[in-house]
Parts: sequence; C-alpha cells; structure tokens
Amino acid sequence: MTQPLLEVANLTVEFATDAGVIRAVDDVSFTVTAGETLALVGESGCGKTVTGLALMGLVPSPPGRVVSGSVRLQGKELTRLDEQALRDIRGSRMAMIFQEPMTALNPVFRIGSQMTDVIRRHQGLTRRQARQAAVEMLAKVGIPVPEKRIDEYPHQLSGGMRQRVMIAMALSCGPQLLIADEPTTALDVTTQAQVLELMTELQREFGMAMILITHDLGVVAQTCSQAIVMYSGRMVEQAPVQELFARARHPYTAGLLASIPRIRERQLQQLPVIEGMVPDPLHLPEGCRFAERCAKAKDYCLLAQPELKPIGKTASQVACYAPN
Amino acid sequence: MEVLLYSLRKVIAGIPLVLGVTLISFLLIVYFGPDKTYELVGKNPTAEQIAEVRSQLGYDQPFVTRYVRYLQEIVTLDFGNSESTDEKVSSILARTIPVSLLLAMPGFILGNGLGVALALVAAYFRGGFIDKLIMGSAAVGMSVSFLIAIIAFQILLSSSDGLNLFPVRGWDTSTPLAYIQHVTVPTLATVFVALGYNTRFYRAVIVEEMTRDHVRTARAFGVPPARIFYRNILKNSMVPIVTRVVFSIPLIIISGSLLLESYFGIPGIGKVTYDAIVTGDQPVLKAVVALTAILFVVAQLLTDICYRLVDPRVSLR
Repeated sequence: MTQPLLEVANLTVEFATDAGVIRAVDDVSFTVTAGETLALVGESGCGKTVTGLALMGLVPSPPGRVVSGSVRLQGKELTRLDEQALRDIRGSRMAMIFQEPMTALNPVFRIGSQMTDVIRRHQGLTRRQARQAAVEMLAKVGIPVPEKRIDEYPHQLSGGMRQRVMIAMALSCGPQLLIADEPTTALDVTTQAQVLELMTELQREFGMAMILITHDLGVVAQTCSQAIVMYSGRMVEQAPVQELFARARHPYTAGLLASIPRIRERQLQQLPVIEGMVPDPLHLPEGCRFAERCAKAKDYCLLAQPELKPIGKTASQVACYAPN
Repeated sequence: MEVLLYSLRKVIAGIPLVLGVTLISFLLIVYFGPDKTYELVGKNPTAEQIAEVRSQLGYDQPFVTRYVRYLQEIVTLDFGNSESTDEKVSSILARTIPVSLLLAMPGFILGNGLGVALALVAAYFRGGFIDKLIMGSAAVGMSVSFLIAIIAFQILLSSSDGLNLFPVRGWDTSTPLAYIQHVTVPTLATVFVALGYNTRFYRAVIVEEMTRDHVRTARAFGVPPARIFYRNILKNSMVPIVTRVVFSIPLIIISGSLLLESYFGIPGIGKVTYDAIVTGDQPVLKAVVALTAILFVVAQLLTDICYRLVDPRVSLR
C-alpha cells in the first residue's frame, strides 16, 4: 500500500482563555491520499477551521497550542518542525485559502506584487519569470485579461475574482495539498458554483489533494470523496461521501442531512432542526457530547464518550453507541 | 495633475474654515476684546479727545469694515506693529517661528519614531513580558506631568545638584554644538512625556493591523515575519500614523511649546503668544490665530494627499 499524503493522528489543540482552557480540537485522526478530496464538515465552532490551521502550523499562539498528536506530510512530521522549515512548506507544498476573499488580500499592494512575492520565495524565479507565472495562473483560474488585472489592487476586483486570485496564488507553487476553509461561503450562489467547479477542475489537473472545510453539505456532495463530520471538537463520523449521504450512521449527521433545504415530495410546515445547543466548550459533558440533543440517547450515552469505531467491514467509522 | 486639481479644490474648501475661525476669533479678541482707548487718552479727557482716539484705533468703524480689514491683513500678511514692543508683527513671527521649530522638531521626530518602534516591539510580543514592560513604562511616562518632567530633567542634567552637563536656560543656534547643548534637555523632557501616549496609540493601531485576515494569508503562504511586519502591518498602519503626525505639525509651528519656552527661557512663538494674550496685544494675537487656521487647512490637505500615497483605495475626489 502506498504511503498516504497526509497522516493526522490524535491531533489535539487547546486555547487558553480567561475562563479556562478550551479544547477546540480533540483527538482527531485521519489520512488524506494523494489527489483525494476530503470534506471536514460541521457547524460553526466545531473545530474544523482550527484543525485546518493546525495542519499548517498556524494556530495563533498564544493563546492556542497544539497539545498532542502528529501531522505527517509524506512521512515528514510537521508538528516538530521549526518556523523556518514550516515557512518553506507553507505555500509551496501545502497551501491554505480562507473564507473571506474581501479581506484576505493585502489592500495596499497590487495583486501581482502579492503573487510574485510568494512565487519568487518558493521557486526562486526572477521577477520577470515570476510575473509571467502569475499571469499564467490568473489566466488558469479564469480571470479575463490577466496581464492587466495583475496590476490592479484587491479593492478593484469583485469577491469572486478575489477568491480566484487566492486560488491562483495557492496553486502557483504547485502544492500537493490545498486546505480550503469555506472558500465559497462569502460568495453569492452562482459565483459559488463557478468557484467550486474551478477548484475541482484545477485539482484534477494539478493532481493535488484537497481538504475542504465547510458547513455546506451540498458542497460536499458535489466535490468530495471522503467526509469527516465534526461535533464539538471531535470526529463523530467518517465515511465515503456516497455512503454518508445514503446512510448517515451518526444521529448528528442524520440531523444535518435532514435539515438541508431541498425540494421534497410534500411541503413541510417547517424545516427539521436539531433541537438544543452545542455544549459549552468550558463545561463539556463526560458522555457523548451530542447526547443532550440526541433523540435516541440512552442512559449509558451520558456516562462515557463513544470511541470512533469502524462499522463492520465498511470504510466508515462512527462514534456512537447506537449508530443507524 | 490629479493631485494639483485636488489640492486646489481642497484649498477652496478650506476657505470657509479659515473664515469661520477668523470670524470667531475676531469677535472674541478684537470686537469684544480689550478697549485700548482709556490707556491712550490723557487724564480727564474730553468727549472729543475720546472720539479722536477711538477713530485712530478704528473703533468707530462698523463691524464689517473692521473684519474685512482683518481679512486684508491676513491676505497681505501685514498685521501692523505689536502694541507692546512696536516691532512689526511679521518680523516677530519670522524671528520666533524658526526658534520654536528648531526647539520642537527633535523631540517630535524622536517621540514619534521611538513611539512607532516601541509599539512594534510591544505588539510583536503582545501579551508577553516585554509588552507588559513597555506598556507599563508608557503608563508611567503618561502619568508624569510635563512640568515635573521639565524640572526633573533640569535638575538632573543642568544643575550643580545633578550632572551639570547642559545650560539650564537660553537659546543659541550659532554652532551645531551650541544648538545640541541647548536643545537636548527640552527634547528629553518632550520625548519623556510624549512617548507614552505615542507608544500606546501606535501599539493599538499596529495590533489591530496584526489581526487582519491578510496577515494570516501571508503567514499561510510562508512569508517571513519581518516581511509581514513591513508589507502587511506597517504599510496598512500608515493612515492613522500619518494623520497623527501631520496634524501635530501646526501645533508645533504656531503654539510652540509654551512650557518649554518659558522654563528654558527660549524666545519662541509660544512665549510671544502667551505674552500677547496677557497684555492684550491684538495685532500679534490676530496673526497667530489666522496662521493657526491656515496651517490646519494645509495640514488637512497634506494628510489627504499622504493617504493617497499610502493607501490605493483612497481616491482624490
């Protein structure tokens, strides 16, 4: 069996706050093989963005800290690398793009300056070569008249265009892994579809793996092969996307799927919702973190946390005592 | 060309401001100000003598005429002679403004330069020991009154009780060495007092810029910290920094530093202004007030043009 591109094992990230220590990511493990698309799904605050940042070594510290766990990129342990070595990897072998295209680019420098800065740093090209490479990348992400756009400032571009620039910048050094943190959330629906399509297309062309962080299950269905569902800092389910949509094992996943607005056979009075609230990260329950909101919760669910276990001989894993 | 047209528009827009300020100050210090008549007439004056003096002083003219004459004086920069020394007001200004500038500039440059530098260091080690040390010292510096700082530095550096390195009073710019000797202690006092405020202000600005999304983006693309500090943080902090710096310039040029000038016996514009207020020397006061208003309009114009230089999102329209 070939070595996976990325191996994450028992990753735990904590944040020190005035009120106490918050465990934002708790014992998360997964692997990404080359060229694969993995979805990291969950609601706001479930730890999916922090997981992404931790992979890049970008957890803001202080107050954040990777407490334990390992992140291996092609067998190379990243959590023990120093800043200098990490900087050489960031942007060149793994890149990350963020949710807010409106603010993610530096407003006082031209697009070209920001792109060539990254390209020259990682690929050691001359100014002119880097500019040429940047123009080519901009053309690839579908920016019209790139040789002119490259000399514009971020505020002169629309949100969708800016996200395209971010993608161009992320792909400019040919990374093996792209972490995309809600790349389309801030865009309007038609632009969303275009940007997603572009990302999958380029992913295939460049043969890179992608971790797509999102709360939008529709996006997952369109683009991903594997999905991880996170709840309150923990993984509750991992499954190939088709299986996940066909049969959600964890009650939380099932609840998420049920609450997607779509065309149904009969009209509903109200969209199904998952009752209750996410537990306070400062006072986590001893048992299953979803138990309080779970319709099927039994007494033993409140006693100890269920471990993530494979289901039979399938590729799926679920952390539930009574999976569907 | 764009800048030129813009400047022209701004200058025109500044005219009402100058008119407003001069009108108010004219009302307060001239129209309702001290009446010189009875200082000038002799004992037991007759009604004719009083009327004659009043007409010499121009008091019998209608309000509008007197105000328009003031405006003429502003345009021609000819404010007449000082009532207390009979020196031409324009020559008083020409003599004292350079003194105040030379006195205040070193402290101004050092205070802001060091302020930005310390703020960068504090922001970089945000929340850590160095940050707390710098911000704690800044709070101490802010809490000390300017007066106390001046006297303390005079005793420490210029008296026989202290190191006795510098002259305690006076002003001499004939040689660079003499200038340095006379400007050092006032500069130290200014920097000591201003640095706390500046550091706190600049740190707040820089910390805000440090938490921007594009800083995180740059980190995610492997840009080293020094470059992030320059390109992402400092460059984006320039708008508030420029504002603060440019708007302090009129204050230095015109009001000078009254405390510094009186405590070090330095013949600058601050001292002249203070004396003019005390003695009711209207020609000098009128000149100072008008110049201040004009300088603020110029400062505003300068900041707007500087914004355009540091931030491409600002358009000069």
